Amino acid sequence: MTLSAGEGTGSKLAAPARGVRQRMSFAWLGVVPFLLFALLFLVLPTMKIVVGSFQTNDGGFTLANIANLFQPSILAAYWISIRISVASALLGCLFGFLVAWAVVLGGLPGWLRSPVLTFSGVASNFAGVPLAFAFLATFGRLGLVTLILRDWFGINIYGLGFNLLSFGGLTLTYLFFQIPLTVLIITPALDGMRREWREAASMLGATGFQYWRLVALPILWPSLLGTFALLFANSFGAVATAYALTGSSLSIVPILLFAQIRGDVLQDPHLGYALAFGMIVVTGIANFVYIWLRTRSERWVK
Amino acid sequence: MADPFLSIRHVEKSFGTTRVVQDFNLDVEAGEFVSFLGPSGCGKTTVLRMVAGFEEPSSGNIVVAGKDITRLRPNQRNIGMVFQAYALFPNLTVAQNIGFGLKVAGASRADIDRRVTEMLALISLPQMADRYPYQLSGGQQQRVALARALAPKPKLLLLDEPLSALDAKVRVSLREEIRTIQKELGITTVFVTHDQEEALSISDRIAVMYGGKAEQVGTPFEIYNRPATKFVANFVGTLNVLEGTVADAAAGTVVVDRQQLSLKGKLDGSRPGEALSLALRPEAVALGRRADSDASLSGRIADVHFLGSVIRIRIGIGDRIVSLDMFNNSSAPPPAVGEPAEISFSSKDVLVLH
Amino acid sequence: MKANRIWSWIFLALGILYFALPLIGTLEFSLKLRRGAYSLDAYWVVLGDPRFQQTFLYSVMMALATIVVGVLLVVPTAYWVRLKLPGWRPFMEFITLLPLVIPPIVIVFGYIRLYNTSSWLPLTGSAMGTNILLMFGYVVLALPYMYRAVDTGLRAIDVATLTEAAQSLGAGWVTILSRVILPNVAVAVLSGAFLTFAIVIGEFVMAALLSRPAFGPYMQLLGANRAYEPAALAVIAFAITWGCMALIQVVSRFAPKTPEQPH
Repeated sequence: MTLSAGEGTGSKLAAPARGVRQRMSFAWLGVVPFLLFALLFLVLPTMKIVVGSFQTNDGGFTLANIANLFQPSILAAYWISIRISVASALLGCLFGFLVAWAVVLGGLPGWLRSPVLTFSGVASNFAGVPLAFAFLATFGRLGLVTLILRDWFGINIYGLGFNLLSFGGLTLTYLFFQIPLTVLIITPALDGMRREWREAASMLGATGFQYWRLVALPILWPSLLGTFALLFANSFGAVATAYALTGSSLSIVPILLFAQIRGDVLQDPHLGYALAFGMIVVTGIANFVYIWLRTRSERWVK
Repeated sequence: MADPFLSIRHVEKSFGTTRVVQDFNLDVEAGEFVSFLGPSGCGKTTVLRMVAGFEEPSSGNIVVAGKDITRLRPNQRNIGMVFQAYALFPNLTVAQNIGFGLKVAGASRADIDRRVTEMLALISLPQMADRYPYQLSGGQQQRVALARALAPKPKLLLLDEPLSALDAKVRVSLREEIRTIQKELGITTVFVTHDQEEALSISDRIAVMYGGKAEQVGTPFEIYNRPATKFVANFVGTLNVLEGTVADAAAGTVVVDRQQLSLKGKLDGSRPGEALSLALRPEAVALGRRADSDASLSGRIADVHFLGSVIRIRIGIGDRIVSLDMFNNSSAPPPAVGEPAEISFSSKDVLVLH
Repeated sequence: MKANRIWSWIFLALGILYFALPLIGTLEFSLKLRRGAYSLDAYWVVLGDPRFQQTFLYSVMMALATIVVGVLLVVPTAYWVRLKLPGWRPFMEFITLLPLVIPPIVIVFGYIRLYNTSSWLPLTGSAMGTNILLMFGYVVLALPYMYRAVDTGLRAIDVATLTEAAQSLGAGWVTILSRVILPNVAVAVLSGAFLTFAIVIGEFVMAALLSRPAFGPYMQLLGANRAYEPAALAVIAFAITWGCMALIQVVSRFAPKTPEQPH
């Protein structure tokens, strides 16, 4: 699954069902309320979208909705969405990993750890509309950083082609919650790295680089993959930040879908289904790739 | 005489203001098996980690085969090390773990394979090559860790409490296996442990450590029978300790619980009236009077524990307890609690601890 | 080791710079409403706005309702799965992580289509119905965090033994859950609750698409029409998030220590 670090998901799931089996026949009744809830408010709504994207207005089967996705403007929206998500997930993983590394293994004083983790908890939840405001107030045309760079250093970032309402700007903004999210997930994984591994490697003649390449990174790889998959889905589905930043001016998929649902732009509801279905497919593929890579790289885990 | 193979000279280590190791000196001959024995916090692991290169001595130096390695990085020392537990790389198979040292040194695949097969045979786990560490028992993991440490043919082998995480039975069989392999390869070995039985059974020599210093260095026989300090006497083996008062130093008489004991020649330099501790190994004490004993004390049976082949008897002498073991004898029932009893021992077995 | 430490400080410094700048920038911007001098005017405008008060109150109520329903749904389920259906854990984990994979906008789109006025369950037909639907949506969003927190909390206590002890004293299921299990996982539940609060209070997409007068859409609207007030709102929202996280830290101090688990 996507959140991987917390407790080594999957490793101890096979807890023996001690003596429960023989009289288990009605035990499942206890989770019926939950399953009913999940069915009504999670599974069925999603299925409705999936089915709807293959239906005509009067309920017949069609591939026309899906085919309609393949028009330049929609393809372009998917493309920029995927690019932003990949970029913000990759950079989020990279910088988040470096910060987590610095705090856990990099020899920083121990008291720094707690504030960094607390701040990560706050920043990873500081998303949506207020985040957009914060970046507008900082990197917008009258933002603090923009003005400081212009007035003190004579650098006009907007003159150099920077635009907050763009691929780069949105990626920069998303990193504000992507990096701390990585820190939160990777820190426990780094805590799990035993000092003995590093020492054993160096006793056997390995350099620091060899240790990372042959031991540390392979061990951390599943956590990093999981983080990437989560970060990707996180930014691919994000609406609020982008909408508050750009209104409808930047055509990324969730904004397109938002406008479609509101009835602002497109009038065909089934194209909306197809747009949403496309989003499920993209995050689904991302997670499938993750699970596939993870099972390949985790043969050594119980 | 040839120079020692490993020489630790005047090594000191401080963390902040606490001195963990003070003026530690030890020479180890080639092929020798030396144990560092002591309670936790005595500095034994710190000394080992300085030999390994994980800690830098505050002063002094460490020489291996005539070369000063004090400032060398761990990965340049060519020393093998086995850790307490769980130090196998979990993402690598047994064979990959064992071959790791050769791989990072750039050995050819054929060479690695050959050496791995050799090492697997040495630790008698030839069929485990493709297992992952989590599929092995604790004892098997430590054997693989040993093979991994030995595979690159290190000059020196360091063992950092490699048996402490294992259960008792495996601990005994593995320590015998380690000793066999060590003798077979003739590799100079330093072994750190807090378990005196382990140290006594496995070592050529033992350095008993306390408070960052070596209290005594000697063969297991010397350490056990002729402890140089009170700490060594107490830490190695079990002791019965009696409190006595010197009556006549020249004649060697001591009063214990209002009874006179004669310890000729053991009290030189003591003053009359001085308080002493007299220590006796349990195996040196017998119940009842024996022909070869020249000293005896009487008391009362305080406790009898039937342990199967052995019966442990505790005898109260004044406010002190002396415990001794006797073999079970089906025709003679053990004494009853409360009975008066006499213990006897040879005065030369008494350790006088000032 | 020395080189490591230098790099660590560099990474940390860059991180602090990146995260501090937007916060400082926002704070500075929010104080500039009055020309030529720093003032708290933007805050007074925002706080004095009746729509702010209404929407904020609405979102607080929604968050509280979400927490209550979420706890009632998650605690008994997680407890039951631990006690009786350990084989179901992978499945439960899969279900509870789905909301992280399916974008919220897709879920709410499904709601709109599934529960519209002409459907079998016309929740969107009335304001109350829509409120309930939105609240269920929030429960779904909070599910991954809530379930995980409670499940981790349950791991720290011996569920089976506690249950048997309570049963041997004659307690029924409701008593066991409310008097034995819930107090023991209270810290985990509270952590999940504060996180849920932080998520719900600023949520935008679901509320906007279901047309409810929540705080998220209000902020967006204000952002589209004003210059300095949004920055003040962002500062307020950040403070609320910080408060929630601080409360999690505070209650975590009272968590029972997780015993060593045999793997």
